[in-house]
Amino acid sequence: MKKLQSTSLNFSVLSFRSGVCVFVICVCECVAAISGNLRITTVKNSSIRFIIKGRGMPGRGGMGRPPFNRPRVLMLRPPFDLILAEPAFPRCKPAPDDTALTQALLKRHAELCPTPAEQAAVLSLVTKLQTVLDNLVVAPGDFAACQLEEVRQVGSYKKGTMMACKNVADIVVIMKTLPTKEAVEGLSNKVNEELNKLMRAEGLGNVSSACHERGFTVTAASSAVRVLVTTLHHNLRKLEPEVHLDYKVISSHLAAIRHSRWFEENAHHSSIKVLIRLLRDMCARHSGLEPLTPWMIDLLAHHCIMNNPARQVLPINVAFRRALSLLAGGLFLPGCAGLPDPCEAAHARAHTALDLPAQDHAAATAQTLLRVVARGGHRYVLGLQAFEGGKDISTEITVWDGVVVSPLAPAYNETPEPMDTDEKEDEGPDGVAA
Amino acid sequence: MAANNYFGFTHGGTQYGAATAGAAYGGQTGYAVAPAATAATYGTQRAAATGYDTAYQAAAATQAAHAHAHAAAAAASAYDASKSAYYQQAAAAYPSAAPQPQPAYDTTAKPAYSTPATYAQNNIIIQGGGRAGAGAKAAYGSVYTATTAAASYPAQAYTAPAAQQAKPATNRGNSAYDTALYNAATMYVAQQNKTAANTGWKNYNKSGVGAGQARRPKPPPKAQQLHYCDVCRISCAGPQTYKEHLEGQKHKKKEAAAKANSSGGSGAGGRGSGGAALRCELCDVTCTGADAYAAHVRGIKHQKVVKLHTMLGKPIPSTEPTKLSADKEGEKEEDDGEEVQPVGQDYIEEIRGDDGKPQSFNCKLCDCKFNDPNAKEMHMKGRRHRLQYKKKVQPDLEVKVKPSMHQRKLAEAKAQRMLVRDEMWARRRMHEGIEDDERAYWESGAEAWWARGPLPPHMHHHHHGMSMGYGNVGRRPETSDDRHVIARHAEIYPEEQELQQIQRVVSHTEKALKSLSDALAEQAQSKGAAKPQVKVEDKKDDKPEGKEDGRDNQLFSFMGEGEGNNGGSGEANASGTAAAGTVARALKGVMRVGLLAKGLLLRGDKDVRLVVLCHDRPTITLLKRVAADLPQHLHRLKAPNDESKYKVDLLPAEGAVQVSDGTVNVLVSLTSAVMREPAEGGDAKRDDKDVLPRQKCLDALAALRHAKWFQARAASLQSCVIIIRIMRDLCRRIPNWTPLNPYAMELLVSGVMQSAGGALSPGEALRRVMEAVAGGLLLEQGPGLRDPCEKELVDALGNLAPQQREDLTASAQQFLRQIAFRQIHKVLDMEPLPKLKTGGGANSWKFPRKRRRSHTDHDHDTPNGEGKIGRTEEIKAEVADKPAIKK
Repeated sequence: MKKLQSTSLNFSVLSFRSGVCVFVICVCECVAAISGNLRITTVKNSSIRFIIKGRGMPGRGGMGRPPFNRPRVLMLRPPFDLILAEPAFPRCKPAPDDTALTQALLKRHAELCPTPAEQAAVLSLVTKLQTVLDNLVVAPGDFAACQLEEVRQVGSYKKGTMMACKNVADIVVIMKTLPTKEAVEGLSNKVNEELNKLMRAEGLGNVSSACHERGFTVTAASSAVRVLVTTLHHNLRKLEPEVHLDYKVISSHLAAIRHSRWFEENAHHSSIKVLIRLLRDMCARHSGLEPLTPWMIDLLAHHCIMNNPARQVLPINVAFRRALSLLAGGLFLPGCAGLPDPCEAAHARAHTALDLPAQDHAAATAQTLLRVVARGGHRYVLGLQAFEGGKDISTEITVWDGVVVSPLAPAYNETPEPMDTDEKEDEGPDGVAA
Repeated sequence: MAANNYFGFTHGGTQYGAATAGAAYGGQTGYAVAPAATAATYGTQRAAATGYDTAYQAAAATQAAHAHAHAAAAAASAYDASKSAYYQQAAAAYPSAAPQPQPAYDTTAKPAYSTPATYAQNNIIIQGGGRAGAGAKAAYGSVYTATTAAASYPAQAYTAPAAQQAKPATNRGNSAYDTALYNAATMYVAQQNKTAANTGWKNYNKSGVGAGQARRPKPPPKAQQLHYCDVCRISCAGPQTYKEHLEGQKHKKKEAAAKANSSGGSGAGGRGSGGAALRCELCDVTCTGADAYAAHVRGIKHQKVVKLHTMLGKPIPSTEPTKLSADKEGEKEEDDGEEVQPVGQDYIEEIRGDDGKPQSFNCKLCDCKFNDPNAKEMHMKGRRHRLQYKKKVQPDLEVKVKPSMHQRKLAEAKAQRMLVRDEMWARRRMHEGIEDDERAYWESGAEAWWARGPLPPHMHHHHHGMSMGYGNVGRRPETSDDRHVIARHAEIYPEEQELQQIQRVVSHTEKALKSLSDALAEQAQSKGAAKPQVKVEDKKDDKPEGKEDGRDNQLFSFMGEGEGNNGGSGEANASGTAAAGTVARALKGVMRVGLLAKGLLLRGDKDVRLVVLCHDRPTITLLKRVAADLPQHLHRLKAPNDESKYKVDLLPAEGAVQVSDGTVNVLVSLTSAVMREPAEGGDAKRDDKDVLPRQKCLDALAALRHAKWFQARAASLQSCVIIIRIMRDLCRRIPNWTPLNPYAMELLVSGVMQSAGGALSPGEALRRVMEAVAGGLLLEQGPGLRDPCEKELVDALGNLAPQQREDLTASAQQFLRQIAFRQIHKVLDMEPLPKLKTGGGANSWKFPRKRRRSHTDHDHDTPNGEGKIGRTEEIKAEVADKPAIKK
């Protein structure tokens, strides 16, 4: 730019400086056409380095840019993962005998699998409900409360990861119209009516349907189906909090569809399903891990089983340890790349659905459990054996062969840390010493 | 006025016809015949004024059947007719006066022929008019009295004329008829009279000659006087008020308007703006739509009027609305009816009263209330409601766009879009709240980096709009963690002075050892000339010529230049020495090991180690010799003004001597490569009494290897040395970490760094180390830390007790979460650093810093990020530059 000789060119380029300029060349030409005495030859492509960008400059790490179109690149590292770091940490002692853990895992899984009777009950209800809903999609008739676009099965039923005694299947209904509470109610009533007709025709017991903030649940004698209501994607922005179902709920239902599809394509291996059941059960029984959503667990299980250098399915005991180890190693902590969510826009992380205290608590719980399992306490962790009358082992100080395993204090503080608070890091060790 | 009334009448007539049964219709057909007959009659009897009577009779004869057949109903239509008839009389008959009744009849009556009832009435009236001067007056005088018995009255009224036809001369009969039929209309006449000033109507009224007579035939069961104003369609409580009404402004206005309309001609265009207006004839109310009309009909006002009219016995038009501007509206009605389906019934909730009847309605979509079911219906068809429905329920609902509203709609839509977009962003922001926050944290300190001046050249060659991650691969902004780690590192890093002191002592020791070695060598050479003492091996690897000490942390060989050079390195060659059969120096070289070699010295570290490689197994004798001679050599090296005193201690148990200057202790261990071969030294040369402890020698050898490993592998990893220093500090401070031996820690850290697959910033590196330990790397099930310096599989961790492993892991777990939750200062045991003032991260875009561009000298060197932040400034600068450019 320095070499430019013409004032007019300087001026015109100046005006573009802060914003535009792949256009510089053509601007130069325009100016040349006007002024007629310009030497454009001095302008080289390479010496002009402006970027067309209306709003601020992205090159400054967010400076001068509105926050919205900031590239969602969190420069975060994946956590330390022993399986992936194998080359750096070659095993130098014989691997421990893990048959006990493997046996326990398999045993527990057998307990967690739903019985055929349960499966049949759910299947029957889901099939009927699907029929009813499909009819409403194809031929709504005089049903005017809403228009249905599509009906899909999602969730653990679809994925084949249902747990025993939790006979709740999920079906997502995509509405063409906007999901007002009235529409949901109307749909619920209609479905209830139609379904009861079907049930009567087959001589089965009645079903009942109850609305809630996600849609409605159809409950039969021994099973239930949650009908989750959502709407077309382009309708999302039309939602209003007081009229319609909650935006987050609606979009989570859309996400559920994506999740099911992803799962079908990527995570159909039965090892993954086994691990999912085990982890879900484990999470349900330890308060700190409760906030983990099924989707996070799916991703975690998939990661633990499949993501290794050899791309081979890992044995269940290795994967289980790995899952605990990853959680303990801060996979789901802030500042960690965590698990990328394959069903969201790039760089979305699965665990950000948890709030910070929950992330802390989950990590702390997993850390304690990891140490308990390391001491051979897997039977308690898996729930094969109740710990001291059903207490949560992740919150108790336990002694294993003289080794004291103590739970950890939370690290999350609501307020930015004042300087003179006592160091929490000493608490764990102190407990041990005592 | 006449036109107007005819118009009204016409409707009354047709409506009547429609409303009443076939009988009435029959009557009308009867009428249809009648005019012809009368016309003929008139033709013949025109000359005689009284001839009318016969004509009338003829007509009346036909009428009679009709009138009697349907008494009340006929009366209703008659009533309507009366109005118009009377007006005609008022307008035409009266002013033109009696003498020519025929033309009057013709002109006025003709239009009335279209409707038979009018015909009849006209006859009567004209007759009355024709005899105006005479008895009719009396008849009119009786007008004021009306009966409430509407049903019976008309019948009576009709019978009266019928009876009177026999004696047409009787005024009274005629007047009775009039009285009966046109009581209300006459009031009008009264007024007309007044204005016309033709004859004093009022006088007649007052005279009341015939009044008494007139009243008599009416049976007034509840004789109630009604004072009804036809124009305004109201009834007055009494004559007085009625009079006042007639004189009132309002009435006059209406009257004038009516007149104007009538003179204006066409009845159809006479009223209404021509919109979709529906008109209630009865109340003379124009409604804008069918719904409004329905509402009106149900309304109390209309009901009152209907009641009044029923009382008066006036014809009540059916509730069918009169359409104004008929054709236009017709189509409109039609397509409205087609397409406006009420929508959103579900969203209107009824609010019921105690009796269970709906009291009011609330539309949840539009957030409005109505008390009227009718209004609700209207609302459900309304545009506003439909728009809301479209917006909130069914996005694809079609709502007709009013063309006139087009512009506004566009604007609205635009505003809506903006709103929606804002909302969406707000939502998204909410979604990303945590992440933004987090990002802000991890990226805070970005400023520090960006402000460092011109960017490295590679930054220019890609498109920043696309990826900032890409742009930052090479150099990442400093996070708060990095700053903490670096700050802590600066705290623990030894001061320059300290380092120099250590350096000096170590250097002196090394030089002293060399001179000692030289002395020993000379001695050996001179003493044992028989032995073929040729130095073969040399530690020349990358050692510069004339090296004075082991400053480069490599082996500092004591060999002289002439002592041969086989280019080998390390102890490997040392073992080959003997094979070469040359006479070796007893002390071959010295090397810094441990902290000193690795550069891991921390503030306060005073103990450093040197390892002296011996040619043969180091013996206690040799050690003693070294210990004895070293002070001497040290003293010789000392600078003249250096008053420091070196003290040399013999530590036979360690296989070492310790050189100390009071602050710094240098442990000089003797070892030899041959110590590793137990086979050789196994039993044969078991003069072990003299040889230094084997384990110590091996340790020293290991230390040598570790130092070499460190230099080769760990030191090259980014952040590794910093983190190892930090970790050393941690191990020193925290009891739980003390059991972790330094070498294991180094292995751990370097392994963690290595596995990261890329450069890590210090903060990340520390976190990653914690992640590894927290994830159970050091637990029993873990793989252990393989010692790369041993041929066999050796776990560098050694025998950590389970509890120690447990505590290490727990501690690391706690640290990890503290790092994650921005409390890295706790881990590092330091004060938290204040946030950067320039505050990178979240807020920075809001408050862009003005940047001076003085240091970004040329345009193409300007960071692309310059942006519009300093736009004006830049331009100024550019302008300032310009003269220079010109030159």
